[in-house]
Amino acid sequence: MRRVAAVLIIVTAAVLLLEVLPNAVFHAAGAPPEAEPAEQNLAIIVNQSNPVDNVSFQELRTIFLGERSHWPNGRRITLVMLEPGQPERKAILRTIYRMTESDFSRHFLQGLFTGEVFVSPKTLASPVGVRKFVFNVPGAIGYVRATDVDETVKVIRVDGHLPDDKDYALRIPARPAK
Amino acid sequence: MRKHLSRVARGGARSSLQVIDLFLHEVGRYSSTLLLLMVFCVETGVVIFVIRDLRAADHEVQRIYAGSVLGLRGIGELQYQAQETRRSTLYALTTNDSNLQVEYADQSRAADRRVTDGISDYLAHARMPREVDVGKRLERDWSAYLKVRDEVLASILEGSTKEAVDFDLAGGVPSFDRVRQDLEEVKRLYDEQASQRLAIVDEASRRSAGRLVGVLCFTLLFASVSVWAIQRAKMLSALKLAKLQMDFVASVSHELRTPLAVICASAQNIADGVVEEKEQLAKYGSVIRNQTRQLTELVNQILLFASAKEGRTHYVLRPLQVTQIIDAVLRNTRETVEQAGFTVEQHLDPDLPEIIGDSSALIQCLQNLVGNAVKYGGSHPRVTIRAFVDKDHEHHKAHDHHDDEVRISVEDRGIGIDSSEIPHIFDPFYRSPVVAAAQIHGTGLGLPLAKNIAEAMGGRITVVSKLGGGSVFTLHLPIRKKSRETMTVIESDSFTRP
Repeated sequence: MRRVAAVLIIVTAAVLLLEVLPNAVFHAAGAPPEAEPAEQNLAIIVNQSNPVDNVSFQELRTIFLGERSHWPNGRRITLVMLEPGQPERKAILRTIYRMTESDFSRHFLQGLFTGEVFVSPKTLASPVGVRKFVFNVPGAIGYVRATDVDETVKVIRVDGHLPDDKDYALRIPARPAK
Repeated sequence: MRKHLSRVARGGARSSLQVIDLFLHEVGRYSSTLLLLMVFCVETGVVIFVIRDLRAADHEVQRIYAGSVLGLRGIGELQYQAQETRRSTLYALTTNDSNLQVEYADQSRAADRRVTDGISDYLAHARMPREVDVGKRLERDWSAYLKVRDEVLASILEGSTKEAVDFDLAGGVPSFDRVRQDLEEVKRLYDEQASQRLAIVDEASRRSAGRLVGVLCFTLLFASVSVWAIQRAKMLSALKLAKLQMDFVASVSHELRTPLAVICASAQNIADGVVEEKEQLAKYGSVIRNQTRQLTELVNQILLFASAKEGRTHYVLRPLQVTQIIDAVLRNTRETVEQAGFTVEQHLDPDLPEIIGDSSALIQCLQNLVGNAVKYGGSHPRVTIRAFVDKDHEHHKAHDHHDDEVRISVEDRGIGIDSSEIPHIFDPFYRSPVVAAAQIHGTGLGLPLAKNIAEAMGGRITVVSKLGGGSVFTLHLPIRKKSRETMTVIESDSFTRP
C-alpha cells in the first residue's frame, strides 16, 4: 500500500512539474502558450552586397567547415554561429557539419592549427545578433530561422531552393511528441 | 468758415498770421475742446505708430535670439553625433565579444543616421550660396567617412583588429578631420550670419530710437503749438468780447446821450420861455415823452439782458392765444411803426392752436423782431406778420424731431443781411459793420434777447435773408398738448457765450 501511495505521489509530482508549472510560468509572463510549429526552415543569410545568390549544398558545407576563405568578389568569408544549445545550431551541426558539438570544436581547433581551416567562426547569442553581424560585415554568412529574416540581409538559395520550397534541405525538426 | 478763409486767401493783403487768427477764431467759436480733441487724436496716432515700431523691433530681436539658440544647438548636436559615430566605432575595438561589437556597431549607425538627417535638414534650410556649398561639401565628406567607417566596422567584427586600425588611420582619421572642419565652417558661417542679423537689429534699434526722439520732438512741438493756439484763441475771443463791450458802451452812450440831449434842449426851451404857444408846448411835451419812452425801453432792454445773463429771469409758461400776443405786440409798437411811416400787414390762420409760453417774454421777443423790421426796413415801409401752423410738419418731424409748432414770422423788405453776417447776428453786442456805418442805432442785444426767450419757451428763431431783399425772422413755438401741464416755471440760462 505504501509503495502504491509513493508511486502515485511521484507520478503526480512529475505531472505537475511537466505540465502545470510551465503553463503557470507562461501565464505569469502574460504570453499565451503557443503551439510549437511542427517544423521550421533555416535560412542561410549573407550581406546584401554579396553577389552570391545560390550555392550548392556541398559548397555550403565547405564554407561552413571553414575550408574556403574568400567569396568570388574577394571578400573574406566570416562564419557566424549561434551559441551552443540553440535549436538552429543543432540543426546546422546535424545537417551541414554532421558533427556533434565536441566534433565541431575539435574540427576548428585542429584545422586552424594545421592550416586546413581558414575561418574561425564568430559566436553570437541571438538570431538578432547574427542578423546585425551579417548586415555589418560584407563577407559574413550565417543562419537564422526563416521567420527571423528581414530586409537588412540576403537569403541565398541552397541547391536552387529557398527556405519555403518543398525540397529545401535545412530544417529544424519538430519537437518530439510528449 | 471755408468761405472766410478762401476770401482771406484771395485778399492776399493779409498776413499769414491773420489767416491763422481767423482759423483760430473760427475754431474758438466751436470751443477749444475741439482743438484739444484734435491734439489728442494726433498724439494718439503718433503713440500707436511708435508702439507698433517698438513691438516690431522687439519681435525681430526675439526671432533672432530664438534662431540663434536653436541654430547653435543644432550645430552642437551635429558635432556631438559625429563624434559619437566615431567613438562607438572605436569602442568596438576594445572587445573581442562579437555581441558587444554588434551593439557598438548599432550605436555607431544610429548616431550616423542622426548626423545624416541633420545635414539634410541644414541643406533644406540653406538659403545663401555659401551655406549650400558648405552643406554639400559636408554631405560629401560625411559619406566618404561613413564608407571608411563601414570598412573599419567590418574588419573589427571579422576580428581583424590590425586591419581595422590601418583602415582608420589611412582613411578614417583624415576623412573625419574633413568632416570636423566642415562642421566648424558651418558654425563659423552661422556665427557670421548671427553677427549680421545682430547688426541689422542694432540698426533697427538705432532707427527706432531716432524715430522715438523725432516723435518726442514732434509731440513737444505740437503740444507747444497747441498751447499757443489755445491761448491765442482765448485771447482773440477775449479781445473780441472787449471790442464788443466797447462798442456796446459807445453805442449805449450814444443811445442815451441823444434822447437826453433832445429832452434837455426841449426842457431848456420851455424853461427859458422860448415856447409860449400852447400848440408848440404840446409838441415839445410830445418830444420829451417820446424820448423818455425810448430811453426807458433802452434801459429796460439792458436790464433784461443783464438779468438774463445772470440767470435771474423767471418765465411762467402757460397756454396762450397767438392772436392775443400779436395784438399786444402791435399795440406796443404802433407808435414806433407809425412814426417811421410803416404799415403792418397781418396774415393769421383762423384756427391757430394755443401755444405754451410766457406772455410778456413772447411779446418782448416779437417786439424786438418788429422793431428790427422797422429799423432795417429801408425804403419799403411795410412789415408783414404771419402766423400759421407748420404745414410741412411731417418732414420736420422726420429730420429735426420737432413736435407740432406754430410759426410767427416777421417780414420786411429792407436792407437784408449778408449771408456771412447771419451766424453772428444772435451774438450779444454784435452789430453788423454795414449798419454801424449807416449809423442805424442799436445795442446789439435785441436779437440775442429774442433768441434767448424763444429757446426758453422750447422754441427757436430762424432767419432767411437776402442782402438788399429784406429778411424774414420766424419764431417757432411748440403747440400746447392736451396732456401737458398748464403752468411751468423755468429759469433762463442763456447768454453763456461771451
